[in-house]
Amino acid sequence: MNQWMTLFKKEMLEMSRNFKWIWVPLTFIMIAVKEPLTLYYMPQIIDSLGGLPEGAVIELPVPSAGEALAASLSQFNTFGVLIIVLITMGTIAGERKSGVAGLILVKPVSYAWFVTAKWASSMILIWFSYFLSYFLSWYYVGVLFKFISFTDFLQSFFVNGIWLTLIITVVILFNTFMKSPGAVGFISIGIIVILSLLSSSLPHLLEWSPALLSAYANAFIMGSNFPDELLPSIIVSVFMITLSLLASIAIFKRRELA
Amino acid sequence: MPVVSITNLKKRFQDQEVIKGLDFQLSEGKCIALLGANGAGKTTTLKMLAGLMKPDSGSIVFEGGEKADFRRLIGYLPQFPVFYEWMTGKEFLEYAGRLAGLPKATARNRAEELFELTGISDAKNRRIGKYSGGMKQRLGIAQAIIHRPKLVMLDEPVSALDPFGRREVLELMDKLKKETAILFSTHILNDAEEICDEILFLHNGELVESGTLAGLRTKHQQAKIDLAFKENTLQYAEELSLLQPFSSMKLDGEYASFLVEDIEYARELFLTEIMKRNLPLVKFEISRTRLEDVFMKVVQK
Repeated sequence: MNQWMTLFKKEMLEMSRNFKWIWVPLTFIMIAVKEPLTLYYMPQIIDSLGGLPEGAVIELPVPSAGEALAASLSQFNTFGVLIIVLITMGTIAGERKSGVAGLILVKPVSYAWFVTAKWASSMILIWFSYFLSYFLSWYYVGVLFKFISFTDFLQSFFVNGIWLTLIITVVILFNTFMKSPGAVGFISIGIIVILSLLSSSLPHLLEWSPALLSAYANAFIMGSNFPDELLPSIIVSVFMITLSLLASIAIFKRRELA
Repeated sequence: MPVVSITNLKKRFQDQEVIKGLDFQLSEGKCIALLGANGAGKTTTLKMLAGLMKPDSGSIVFEGGEKADFRRLIGYLPQFPVFYEWMTGKEFLEYAGRLAGLPKATARNRAEELFELTGISDAKNRRIGKYSGGMKQRLGIAQAIIHRPKLVMLDEPVSALDPFGRREVLELMDKLKKETAILFSTHILNDAEEICDEILFLHNGELVESGTLAGLRTKHQQAKIDLAFKENTLQYAEELSLLQPFSSMKLDGEYASFLVEDIEYARELFLTEIMKRNLPLVKFEISRTRLEDVFMKVVQK
């Protein structure tokens, strides 16, 4: 366990040395908080830009608090996913490509710990940024529209978070396959897009799909209840996360590092 | 018992067989040079030994058997070492030490010790990104030996360095010899001769020659007598060659070179003849063929 802590601490140190602890939360905050703000100020924005002819009457339906927060949540599934992939796609692949992994792994380092330390540190960074930004978003929705109950906020936070966790894990998995961070990013995004598209176009066939978790969280925050398929979806997700992690370790052990 | 035994090691990349069946053993406390031209298979061999590449067939068995984690026994420095540039030298060495299983305090002391030994103490708190090539090479050696391995493998440790860096690293390796067995690859025989007692000579993926340098010298080197006269060197040389104390004669510009079997006998014979006939001798030199020439011959074959 000592060695795991050493590996983990190195990851945390690296993240602070290259300022990931600052710019990742900031980016998340920007993409999440902008939603309730723009929704609220839309009439004024259109007004001040003066894009409409004299005398035109703008009537925008005032969005509900739930809709405003759901808008933030859906941002995590577009820009959020992109950022997650971008910051994790090189975590192992990059070290293998540069050659430093060769230097580290000729030491008696456990492959499982190497992979899980990378995974855990990415998880902490992303969950921290995700929580901070979603929480701020919730706060602004409360101030500008109406406060949504904190437990509802937390529930949607965790349900959507499981989907994000699966994404992190998939990116780590491809990291152990390939040496090029670009290829890792490309394939991960491809898989996520395909899974999301399939799940949203065939929801009756894939109602247990992890990709639907964000849709479930979205609908929930807008006022409907979680469907019965929530639990199976979560179970499938947790299963896939575990499987991907185990596969990452197994693949990484067998790879030639140089 | 040898630290590692290699039997019938083979590796191919696509359609090219890079290593064609290597057999050798490395024993504790020896310094061995893996010598060969570029593309001979030195780096591939070292990578397989370090476990970074898997051999297609054959076995590499470290002391302690196949089950144990052999990585405790070895230290490895790749040809182009890359570090975490954002770390300081000290952080990296301590990190390497911790990963190798040293307790925190031991790792710190050992790192300190190695900075002294490698002579880069001044730079220990600097980011590695700012290190020069020679400093990186020395940091690389330090991280390879931090856990006192039984065998240190260095891939071309001096090839990329300027003459000063080369000298420093060679001297460092000379110090290391006392602590651990060293296997290092080089394409320069001089480097090998300077610090090693044994060589493995690799050519096109095969071990063409191996053994102690002294042994190789007696096996391959021949005594040589160079003669030059004030005039008519060719004519005199041919006359002398009638005495036949040598195995071959070569005219080399101004000189006549004789490869001889028995140096004492040949010298006696030549000198008496020259004195007797009062030939205008200007140069009489006894030397040996260089080992380098022997290897050049092998490579060019």
